[in-house]
Amino acid sequence: MKNNRNKKKKLRTLLILFIVLAVIIMIFLFGSRKEKIRHEREAGRTDQVSGEKADLPMKQVTLFFLSDTDGLLHPEEREIPESDLSGEARAVVEELIKGPQTGLMGIIPENTRLRQLFVTADGLAYVDLSRQVTEANFYGSSGEMAVVYSIVDSLAYNFKAIKKVSLLIEGNERETLGGHVDLSNPFQPDYSLIAR
Amino acid sequence: MPKYIKIFLTLTLVASLGLASVPGCLRAEAPAGAKAAPVIKVTVEDSLEVTRVKISGSSNLVYNLKKSSDWLIVTFRALAGLKLEKSPFTSQVVKSVDLAKSPEAYLLIIKAVSPDFSFSHSARKSPFELTIDLKLKNMVAAKEAKPSETPAKTSPLASGQGNPPPAVNQSVDRAAQGLTSSQSEKKAFKTIVIDPGHGGIETGARGNYGTLEKDITLEVAKKLKERIEGDLKYRVVITREADVVVGLERRAAVANNNKADLFISIHANGSKRAKARGSETYFLSLNATDEESRRLAYFENNSGELENRLGEQDFDDLKLILWDMAQSAYLKQSSQLADLVQNQLNQLLNTQNRGIKQAPFKVLTGVACPAILVEIAFITNPEEEKKLQSEEFQTQVAEAIYQGLGEYFQLYEKP
Repeated sequence: MKNNRNKKKKLRTLLILFIVLAVIIMIFLFGSRKEKIRHEREAGRTDQVSGEKADLPMKQVTLFFLSDTDGLLHPEEREIPESDLSGEARAVVEELIKGPQTGLMGIIPENTRLRQLFVTADGLAYVDLSRQVTEANFYGSSGEMAVVYSIVDSLAYNFKAIKKVSLLIEGNERETLGGHVDLSNPFQPDYSLIAR
Repeated sequence: MPKYIKIFLTLTLVASLGLASVPGCLRAEAPAGAKAAPVIKVTVEDSLEVTRVKISGSSNLVYNLKKSSDWLIVTFRALAGLKLEKSPFTSQVVKSVDLAKSPEAYLLIIKAVSPDFSFSHSARKSPFELTIDLKLKNMVAAKEAKPSETPAKTSPLASGQGNPPPAVNQSVDRAAQGLTSSQSEKKAFKTIVIDPGHGGIETGARGNYGTLEKDITLEVAKKLKERIEGDLKYRVVITREADVVVGLERRAAVANNNKADLFISIHANGSKRAKARGSETYFLSLNATDEESRRLAYFENNSGELENRLGEQDFDDLKLILWDMAQSAYLKQSSQLADLVQNQLNQLLNTQNRGIKQAPFKVLTGVACPAILVEIAFITNPEEEKKLQSEEFQTQVAEAIYQGLGEYFQLYEKP
């Protein structure tokens, strides 16, 4: 009998030891994951809170307009509503079309509309503009360069995901705006046209 | 009992420890097996009838064949890191086999001893094998003329190598002579292509007084043509002589079809800023796209070597094949030409010096010779618009460009 009780005692301690060990292992295995989930849940909650505070989270962007003084592109800050990449890029081009708020020059011809803008997975932004963008008296080399690179540089400067920009007119590829700058290849930004 | 429990415990411990280590195992992924670059093996064998070029690939390849003078060019589309393995050969028909790289494709360049060859081909998939049979046209004639010299059919390879039909070599020599003499005749006169910007309904920029860019460019181009022709040293081709629309690619084609030595596009500038003023000279910029930078790199790395190996005439042919990258091979010369012309504009015109610049201009991209675009002055600046209208100013511009290109030729004609 005594022997039997001793055995039972031993068994119980071993069982407890086993459970403790199992719990330790469980914590070791899943602990970090649980923590992560908790973090995510907390993050979600704070997001909700901030979302309730401000209906439209805004994002600051930099637009490039022509300066009448030196003929270079100059920056102008602007707030646009936060959105997905294409949405924000669309807002940037629309603000460029609307023109500057300071002493700079709006150069995209009047009545030009942004028809569509989308960004491919490999970072090529297609900017589809209405035909009015080709209708300007000032389309010499300098005039075309200013229009093209105010769009290209503004997009590439604000969005790291945009590496190149392709300009379409009325949904189609076009050789040039007015006979100079080649639109048939995508543009990489050229920041040499921006004032330092 | 305790023994069982102990064993059970140890087992669970080991098992759970084993489990614990599993995620770690999963995280440390085995590095993906390095993919071997596709290899093409090329063998060349002369037989009695034809010279057979066998191209076998480690994977199936999409190809395209094109004959251009004494070259047969096999284009393999869009492959990364294609490698060429060729066994040494001697052939009566095939001079060399080389692999060149363009941005979109690999070009296997099979150079024949003469442009007078015909070819046929067949291909097999998995494993890929492309067989091309080349035949010299006068080899047939040679064989017919001397059938007695044809050795036994049992060893065609040895016979092909051992007995070169003399008629072939003679005709090749003659062909080569003909080529060089006609080439030297052409090179006696430098050809300059003048391109008056815009035309027809494509008016270009418009000034406040209604002056149109297309009219000014044509006037200056005509004066420049006259000035250059007065010299008798040069041949001048103009891309348009009247107020008509000429496509931008067409203008480059005019230059290339006339084997131009220089291409000068004449423009008047325009800006939304009325006060923008001055003269500037452009050459093509290649930072516009990745592709173009790669082309530049390709040419900078390979053009010298290609030119040495293939000779100037061959290099000209390659340029035509790689049409759309034409201007990238001439950027250094184009920038020198731009510099010399801009210097003359600064000296002869009383305009502000805006310097030499680079831009991705459509009209320059396909031109296979040094090429610049001159922006004389701003038509959108009322003061300069008036200048542009005056005959005197136009004549001065023509003179300045003429002096600039003369200096350029002097630079290159010196031995």
